[in-house]
Amino acid sequence: MFGYIVRRIISGVLVLLVVSVAVFALFFYGPADPALAYCPETRCTPTRLENIRHSLGLDQPVAEQYGTYMKNIVTGGEFELGAIGIDCPAPCLGVSFKLRVPVTEYLADRFKATLSIALGGAAIFLTVGLTMGILAARRRGTLADKGIVGVSLFINAIPYYLLALLGWLFLISQWGIFPESGYYGPIEEGPVAWVKGMLLAWVILGLAYSTAYARFSRGSMIESLNEDYVRTARAKGLSERRVTMRHAMRAAIVPVVTIFGLDFAFLLAGTIFTERIFDIQGIGLSALDAINGKDLPIISATVLIAALFIVVMNIIVDVIYSVIDPRVRLT
Amino acid sequence: MGISPTELSQQDVPAEPEVVKQEIAGRSPVQIALGRLRSDKIAVACVVIVVFFILIAVFAPLLTRLFGVELRAGSPSEDLDQFNFPLIGPPDHGFTWEAPLGLAPNTGHDNLADWLYGARTSLTIATVSTLLATLIGVSIGLLAGFSRGWMDKVINFIIDVFLSLPFLLVALALAPIIVSRFGNSPDALKFWQFTALLLVLTLFGWMTLARLVRGEVLSLREREFVQAARVIGVPTRRILFKELLPNLIAPIIVSISLGLPAFVAAEAGLAYLGIGVVGIPSWGQTIDNAVPFFNTYPLYLYAPLVGVFLLVVALNLLGDAVRDAFDPKTRR
Repeated sequence: MFGYIVRRIISGVLVLLVVSVAVFALFFYGPADPALAYCPETRCTPTRLENIRHSLGLDQPVAEQYGTYMKNIVTGGEFELGAIGIDCPAPCLGVSFKLRVPVTEYLADRFKATLSIALGGAAIFLTVGLTMGILAARRRGTLADKGIVGVSLFINAIPYYLLALLGWLFLISQWGIFPESGYYGPIEEGPVAWVKGMLLAWVILGLAYSTAYARFSRGSMIESLNEDYVRTARAKGLSERRVTMRHAMRAAIVPVVTIFGLDFAFLLAGTIFTERIFDIQGIGLSALDAINGKDLPIISATVLIAALFIVVMNIIVDVIYSVIDPRVRLT
Repeated sequence: MGISPTELSQQDVPAEPEVVKQEIAGRSPVQIALGRLRSDKIAVACVVIVVFFILIAVFAPLLTRLFGVELRAGSPSEDLDQFNFPLIGPPDHGFTWEAPLGLAPNTGHDNLADWLYGARTSLTIATVSTLLATLIGVSIGLLAGFSRGWMDKVINFIIDVFLSLPFLLVALALAPIIVSRFGNSPDALKFWQFTALLLVLTLFGWMTLARLVRGEVLSLREREFVQAARVIGVPTRRILFKELLPNLIAPIIVSISLGLPAFVAAEAGLAYLGIGVVGIPSWGQTIDNAVPFFNTYPLYLYAPLVGVFLLVVALNLLGDAVRDAFDPKTRR
């Protein structure tokens, strides 16, 4: 077990290193000259541009720049932009060209909104999805089962952003059934404002994702309801409720954990469509703004952070999987 | 006379089974799946919708001429009023055959022409990138599964790297880089915008199929027919393409039919987020432009919205049906 985790972590770190090299190379050879972002358009002389390049370290060889970037992540660094020096503490992912603040600090602040979306959405899609799936599995072949499967296939077939866009257009903008969306800090502005601003985003995200969970848990529930130990449990005279919840569901939930871990990692990595449509200031939206504004440090940081979430979540899921399912042996 | 055997069932001995004089016909898995699809009403309806869009895409130039509209022919000074709204047609002037779906605010371009050509962009990009991604996925999967050893490890690692990249973010960041690297002249710009989108979609579309094919090959290569082929000295290339590939047809077809809608949705989604092809009409881009006008000019938004919605939903449901048709475990 321990050896397995160590091996997974090593290979995860390797994946992240490759991703960071790829991202760095991509943006280094990318077209936008970052120095231009600092240079006031009307008074941008070649010497001035050269000075800015030098102060950003852009005149160094690529390998050296990459080395500095990596070093800054571990030890932190200091940036000099013109007259102002910016201190960038330990997990330093550079300083934003446009906003002139350390990227880590900026993204950590924005992350609250993304985390809010992910948590609320996950709470909804897990409860709705699992309930629907178990319900359908228990009433297999009935009208309710067919209805749940049909509706979930249909919702699943709609592109997520259209669902979100239609939801926002009608339920908020046109009919005003749901409150205006946006992110409000649950502590700073109070939990009521927080829930109000997130409500429709949660509902739509929950609805869209729950379809996959409903079908997935229905499938594995049907499988485990056919197992011998479920028959034994019924034969012992246990109540149907106890049979489904205690015996069948515990086995059925195992595969659901896998897809949940990955879905959650991707949600944390940035819910670009949700944030854009509902105007929630999270990491996804800041990445989108950074791409439009050619703010390279923020773009590469968001890509790296996303990769980190996905890699870490993958490892966690595999470990949890081996804990809850004794049949899985780690090799 | 005697006791009638009421307790006994009438037919203790089963009746002689009727001899069915039916010719035994060998059917390939693809034929079986096609038969299942033909009896699936939803799948047939989806095929009709998809064929409708394919026809629109193929005959887009003809259809625009038929309706008497022109692509990107609007001029803001002639076709728009002082509020940048169209002078003819919806939303203020009712229906007109001159512009059946109205003109776009701000530019005065014809919406119908944009819509017809949007179908073309969407389907072309989705089809080409699906095929490219399938090609890459199958070859890499075959390679990894068949070679095993270090090659397999390296490929698996590369797949891991690609799977841990956030698709949307990288696509959004990468496409403009490719475009500005190579698109130096206006003509080249258009070409590279198109190519960049294709590349980005292909680059992120091959991994799942590669994994799937690899897994299948790993189990197939130990089967007797492959061993037999190897024993009689069949060259590796022939084993790969004549022995293994035919057995992978089902997963490949399923992956294509589920990949198409994903790529159509991705193209429109990327365009909606503001990258993608700027010079060429795209539904996603029109949706992005039309959202602010929803309250005053809903038709402008509905047209591309319905396009994306119908096409993606039809393709997705068809993909589900294809998957079920190829799955021997589904009972219908």
